[in-house]
This record gives sequence, C-alpha cells and structure tokens, in this order.
Amino acid sequence: MWSFDVPAQPKKAIITRAKVDQLEKVAGQLEGMHSELSALAKKSPNDGVNKFKLKFVNSMLADCIDLLGGEYSPFEDFQEFNPDDVPSNSDVTFIVAQYIQALEKFRSDNINQKPSGWYYNLAESENPVRAAPPAKLTK
Amino acid sequence: MALIRPRLTEYHGIFKPQAELEFAIPFLDEDIPLYVDPFLLWKSPSQQDRALHLSLVNSINHLGYLAKKGDRQGAAQDLILASECDEVGLGVSRTREGKRIGKSQAEEILNLFHHVPEYDKRGFQHFEEIQFYVDGISKDRIGDFSCSLLKSFLIDFTIDHCEQLGIPLIDCKLSHLYDSQKNAFIENVRTKLPLTPDKSPILLVPKRWLRFGPWINFDEYFRAYCPRDEVFNPNEPESRVKVLHYNRDNYGIVEAYLREKERTAADCKNDPFFEQIPVLSARRKMTEIERLPTGKDDNADRKYEDAAVQLLASLLYPHLDFAADQSRTDSGITIRDLVFYNNRSHPFLAELFDDYGSKQIAMEMKNVKAIEREHINQLNRYMADELGQFGVLITRHELPKARLKNTLDLWSGQRRCIIVLTDVDLGQMVELYESKQRLPLDVLKKKYVEFRRACPA
Repeated sequence: MWSFDVPAQPKKAIITRAKVDQLEKVAGQLEGMHSELSALAKKSPNDGVNKFKLKFVNSMLADCIDLLGGEYSPFEDFQEFNPDDVPSNSDVTFIVAQYIQALEKFRSDNINQKPSGWYYNLAESENPVRAAPPAKLTK
Repeated sequence: MALIRPRLTEYHGIFKPQAELEFAIPFLDEDIPLYVDPFLLWKSPSQQDRALHLSLVNSINHLGYLAKKGDRQGAAQDLILASECDEVGLGVSRTREGKRIGKSQAEEILNLFHHVPEYDKRGFQHFEEIQFYVDGISKDRIGDFSCSLLKSFLIDFTIDHCEQLGIPLIDCKLSHLYDSQKNAFIENVRTKLPLTPDKSPILLVPKRWLRFGPWINFDEYFRAYCPRDEVFNPNEPESRVKVLHYNRDNYGIVEAYLREKERTAADCKNDPFFEQIPVLSARRKMTEIERLPTGKDDNADRKYEDAAVQLLASLLYPHLDFAADQSRTDSGITIRDLVFYNNRSHPFLAELFDDYGSKQIAMEMKNVKAIEREHINQLNRYMADELGQFGVLITRHELPKARLKNTLDLWSGQRRCIIVLTDVDLGQMVELYESKQRLPLDVLKKKYVEFRRACPA
C-alpha cells in the first residue's frame, strides 16, 4: 500500500501556549516596526530616531530578549538602545532585522510538520496551534 | 579670563536663553545692533503700546508747539536731550555711548513745523518722517528719540523684569528723564536700575519693539519711492540732500509713502536677534564642508571655519546662544573659535555647568587631516575660568588613538573634558536639524557620553 503520510519528525523541545502567544505578538510587532523603520532608513539613514519611538523599540526588544533567552539572542551584550547614543534609523533597522531573524529561528525550532500542516510543539494536553512553515521553506 | 561678550544676565549668574525672555539681553560693554522702531508700537495690537506711541508723537509735536509759541530755545534743548539714550545700549557703538545731535540739527527739525504746512497744522503722525527732511537723522536717532521719551516706561519695565529674574537693582541717578505730564525733562532723577560693571545704568527694552531698521525708512524711500526724474536733472549726481529739500516742498509724495507703509503694516515684524539658517542652507553648508580639502590651500581653512560658524550657531540655537566668533593667537598661530553662552536650558548643559564650571562653551575649529598634540594643548590652555573645563574641537576626522589618549589623560589628571565633533557628527546634526526627530544638541551629548565611557572609571 502506498502511504502519503509525512515521515515522523524528530521530537523537539516543547513550547508553552503562553510563549506561542508572546512569540506571535512580538514577531508581528517587530515586522511592522521593521517595515516602518526601513522606509525611514532608506530616506535618511543617519537621521536619529526620536525618543518616543525609541522607547517602544526598546520595550519590544526587551520582550524579544526575554522570549529568546541567551541561546537565541543574536547579540549577547546588547540589551537596549541608549537614547544618549542618538541611534540612527539605520542602526535601529539593523538591530531589529537581526531580532526578526532570531525570532524566526526560535519559531522554526519550535514547530513541527504534520500531515495537515505545520504546528507548534505544544504539550499533548494542549489544543494544537497551527503555525506558518519556516520562512526558509516559504522563500 | 572674563566672560567673552558679557551679557547682563550671565554677569549676574542668571542663565536664561534669549528666546525665553521678553526683553533684549543687553551686552555690558557694547551695543545690540537693533533699534526701537516706533512703527511697531503704532501697529501693535496692545493698547499699551499704542498709547505709548501716541505719547511719543505728542511729545515731539509738543516741541513744535513750544517753538511756535516762542520758546524755540527750550524746544531745541529738549530735542537735543532726547536725541541720545545710552542706557538702552542699542545701535552699533562698541562702547555703549553715543553722541547727541547738535543745535543746528535740532533747529532744522523744529523748522519742519514751520516749513511743512501739514506739520504746522496737525503735527507728526509718525515722527520717523523727520528722516525725510533732515540730513543726519537716521535709524539709530529715531530709536534714541523713542527710548528717551519713553524712558519712564522703560524704567518700570526694567525693574519689573529684573525683580522677576533676580537681577540686582541699585540706586542710581539719571541725568534727564522725560516727564510726559509736564512735557519737559526733569533733571537728576534717582531710581533703581541694574548697573554695568563701570556703574552706568542699564535699561531693558521689549524685544517686540526692535528691528534692524525702521519700517518707515529713508533708504527705502530714496531707493524705490522718490520720483528721481523730478528731483534730479538728467546726468546729475543723485544726492540724498537734494531729496531731503525736495520732500519739504512736496509733502504729498512723503504722505503717499507713509500711507503705503501703513497699508502694508501687517508685514512689519520685529526682527529676531538671531535667525537660524534654513534647512536647505544648512545642507548646502554641510556639503561645502564635506567638499573642502583639509589644510590651508586655497583658503580652505577659512572657508571651513566660516561654514562651521554659521552652521553651528544655527544648529545649537536656542539651547546655546551664540556669543562670538573670535580669533586669538596662541604661540604665533591664529586660532578661530566659537563661543556660546551656556544658559543651562537643557539638562546636559546644566551638567556641563555643574561639573566643569562652563559659563560659556568654547569650540575651536581645526581644518586639519589629523589633530596633533599641540592642537589639544592650545584648546586646553584656553579652557580656564568662565569657559570652564569643557571644550569642543571641531575638526574633519576622529582623533587618532594617541590623541584620544591625550584627551583621556587630561580628564584623568585634571578633570578637563575635550570632545571632538567631526564631519560625520556635523552631518548627523544637520540631519536632525532637518528631520526635527531629535535635537542637534543631542549629538554633542552623544560625543560627551562616548568620551566619558572611554574614560577610566
């Protein structure tokens, strides 16, 4: 008999439902911020990011660092932008892009392919949550 | 070293930027190159200003009345007394002292009430008109007449603002004060006013009254309004004096000019002390700087300094009021630097004042490929007393490692701070100046923070 079942994936680390929610929220926010900032960076890369925007960038990056932990964080010594350093549009875009990549790596490591699609590796007791395929595969 | 181009406020330890004050901050040893324009009082929406204008014109017209009544000598004497007001320190004098008009000029002014029938009948409506008839009466004289005749109001204005700011008021004697009730000058009036270090009284003037030239302006009239073909014969040299004589017999022309100026009164605005250059112009200056070679070839150093002066004075306004662009000589080398008043209007500037005692901030410009030890020493020698222990080097590139170490050593040994602004930093300041996302001053702070991080703990 032919079988179209996808071969069983190796078992991966289990992620909690709360982390999945946090991941999706942060990833969405960072994507949005990145597209805004890259538009600014294309126009004037050396222009400074104002303190208002910087406050929210820092808050999102803090959530991101908290979620990723030491293993996935792209830079060990980066914590946040210091407003006194007058970070430019291109500085902030660069860092945000790195964190988007790191989040994707984290997400890819926590999803699994099943016959009906990609799902987060949740505990058996939790309802399954669908996930998008890894970005590398969709490209 | 004393303050460079000292102002009344800094002299008394009051650090407020000009932009936040209602009056023009007077210099202690020279004049402010602005003048009181009576037209600004006339067109003001404030009832007080308009009433003051009326009182001013009435005072001048009263002199015409006196002359007509027979007291010509008294009227001329009052005109002479009203023709100078040293206490306000407006004009172009380097010493805060001016000269009064002479008797013959006073007579000429009084003659107008006789020669021009309209003035004989109803007096002046705008006494700036005197410029159109009497040689030697120019914008500074119009301002002086205004200040002398409004001195009583200016005394109250000065006392009021000095009390608000905490500028000490000291008993002093004014030789003459115009009394608008008696329509006469009273002598030796005692009052309390701020004084210059050499004990001369100072009067503050509202900045809403000040312009670089009066709105009703003889130069403009001569250039654009006077019917030259009627005044001058063909090929005749165009002398101003001939226009003055022509005006006496042709009041209608002057009146038409006055009506035109009244009609366009909405365009008459007080002039700011300092106007920032437009963004486009800042960009051009930055491009000019970037294209300049280092060194002195083809006067590149001079061009660099000129562009940097204009750029920085605008970029750092209003947080740092530009004091002077001055040259000094150190070991036979001419050094050009920029000096700003540190009015502590930003927490970073307050920190510089508290930590380094900088009442003023000096920035030295160097159009060189690499900063040398001597350049740092030159600025270091200059940083003393009022300039405090904080200085800025404006140059083309970052400091070489060895020179950076020199500046760090200066901080370690003497707690002196020298930071460097390069083309890249100026470029970022111009970006911020354009986008208004952050203050250009933040770049100076960034450089300071970077310097402090590099300092040994």
